[in-house]
Amino acid sequence: MQKYISQQNLNTLLDKLIAKGTRVVAPRMNAGIPLYEPLESSAKMVTDQLPRRSAKEAFFPVCEEIMSYEKEGQQVKLTDVDPARFPETVLVGVRPCDAAAIPVLDAVFSWDYKDEFFLERRRKTTVIGLACTTADDACFCTAVGLSPAETRGSDLFLTPLDGGGYACESYSEKGEALIADNGELFSEPDNSMPLPLAVPQADKVDLKKVKRWLDEHFEDPLWDGIAVRCVGCGACAFVCPACHCFDIVDEGTEKAGKRRKSWDACGFWKFTHHASGHNPRDLQPKRYRNRIMHKFKYYDDKFGQTLCTGCGRCVRICPVGIDIAAIVDEINKK
Amino acid sequence: MCDHANKNIYLPYLTTVAEVIDETPDVRTLRLVFQDEQVRDSFSFRAGQFAEYSAFGAGEATFCIASSPTRTGYVECSFRSVGRVTEELRRLEVGDSMGFRGPYGNSYPIEEFYGKNLVFVAGGIALPPLRTLIWNCLDLRDKFGDITIVYGARTEADLVYKRELKEWQERGDVRLVKTVDPGGAGPEWDGKVGFVPTTLEETAPSAENAVALVCGPPIMIKFTLPVLEKLGFSDEQVYTTLENRMKCGLGKCGRCNVGNVYVCKDGPVFTAKQVKAMPMEF
Repeated sequence: MQKYISQQNLNTLLDKLIAKGTRVVAPRMNAGIPLYEPLESSAKMVTDQLPRRSAKEAFFPVCEEIMSYEKEGQQVKLTDVDPARFPETVLVGVRPCDAAAIPVLDAVFSWDYKDEFFLERRRKTTVIGLACTTADDACFCTAVGLSPAETRGSDLFLTPLDGGGYACESYSEKGEALIADNGELFSEPDNSMPLPLAVPQADKVDLKKVKRWLDEHFEDPLWDGIAVRCVGCGACAFVCPACHCFDIVDEGTEKAGKRRKSWDACGFWKFTHHASGHNPRDLQPKRYRNRIMHKFKYYDDKFGQTLCTGCGRCVRICPVGIDIAAIVDEINKK
Repeated sequence: MCDHANKNIYLPYLTTVAEVIDETPDVRTLRLVFQDEQVRDSFSFRAGQFAEYSAFGAGEATFCIASSPTRTGYVECSFRSVGRVTEELRRLEVGDSMGFRGPYGNSYPIEEFYGKNLVFVAGGIALPPLRTLIWNCLDLRDKFGDITIVYGARTEADLVYKRELKEWQERGDVRLVKTVDPGGAGPEWDGKVGFVPTTLEETAPSAENAVALVCGPPIMIKFTLPVLEKLGFSDEQVYTTLENRMKCGLGKCGRCNVGNVYVCKDGPVFTAKQVKAMPMEF
């Protein structure tokens, strides 16, 4: 179902949702940094900047409580987290690279044991994607088979039009419902043309070919070459829309406290460090190799998907200039 | 398996420490009884599976379940105090509460071992992941052929489960060969002196209709596998467990993988054939 919605009506829709108590999360400025964060007014939404971190944190927060404990003598009382506390959410202004990563993450959080922290938020969230009309040098969604108009992961998808406003297409029941519930704000598509889409410059890579090379090259001089300068800061994983490794830590006193699930990164030396002192990934190139392997081989082996959507955040943020797009391109050309 | 449908998969069961046994100066065994009666009655697992054990305030640590699935009503874990969580677990006394999340992972295919001779080879602190299976097999003794256990540690003091070693030694239906590294024997040592692989070679168990189950430090495994090969064991006849660092135990947190193999889901029990096919990342 294609509809038209003006910028003003989109703002009205968001304000209406906010007034109703729905959590509306969108790109907004926070201390000068664009981030996906809850809005108190549609006026705070910024659509011309890629948020510093991805949209995954709407489902998988940087750090969240998974239970709490209280000790009384030898007894311990555990308090579970009530999933009802996850609010109904509309995630809007989501970049196609961020939205496309959400169904990729569904695979790991829903196979076998179900992670309800992720899945319950997922059920309660409607994703409104937004096509990109600008790209920078680090964008490479087209290299990994996506595009600035990729609709995967979006319940509703907005395409900016030359006459202002957006073409609005629904891709799920949630999307349909949002339009149906707010019918007065949508109208039939008009004749205006979509604004020209962004054109990322990276060459398209053959992901199957890259995987085939990775299948055979666990040991290869490439790893030392690209990762010897890696400082292991983990920033690439923290800004990534698809990285999902986490730690489980207790925080509190001997008497009471919380157990938390927090983002972690395979670039940290401690990530795989055994209590005995042994570390299977004792050197940075081994850790960086795991990053590439996980994204372009292991996740594909397990779930048939690639753990990278070409958002380019890791390229922009790396303090030593490691460029994953260039690495994948290099492998593609082997 | 825990019934975790639509539940918080990270929430542990509460257990009470029922017994504390010091195995060596730094290795301790805790016997845990589930506080929830229903869990106590229904909990089951298979030999080889592992769990996440909580010291609330410090966090979780991963160990195998060291007791046998044939002994119900409790579980046991044995651990060396080397980190924040294990130091806290060590401070627990009888009656204290502790968290338990599990059982997780695959297990030894014990039914495939029926009718076969079993050769257990363990070194140092790595006896717990075999002890669960040893007792499992001894409790079903008629189902197996000869049982040989080769177990060694650096010194006499480093041998774990000393009471059980004595019991196995005194049983007529187990051949226990215990050994300590050169220099590790006390004046009353009644076992062998020598490294585990050498002792295994001297013991020379037949590979005919047998499986070997090997757990130990990487260096011991490295030198034991060629001995087993020399004795005629194929890589499909040899089982071991891998013990990578884990957090969730559920195939999500992303750190225990060896290549594309997730130790928490695909393991921790592997055949030597499977291990040899893995990249060197364990």
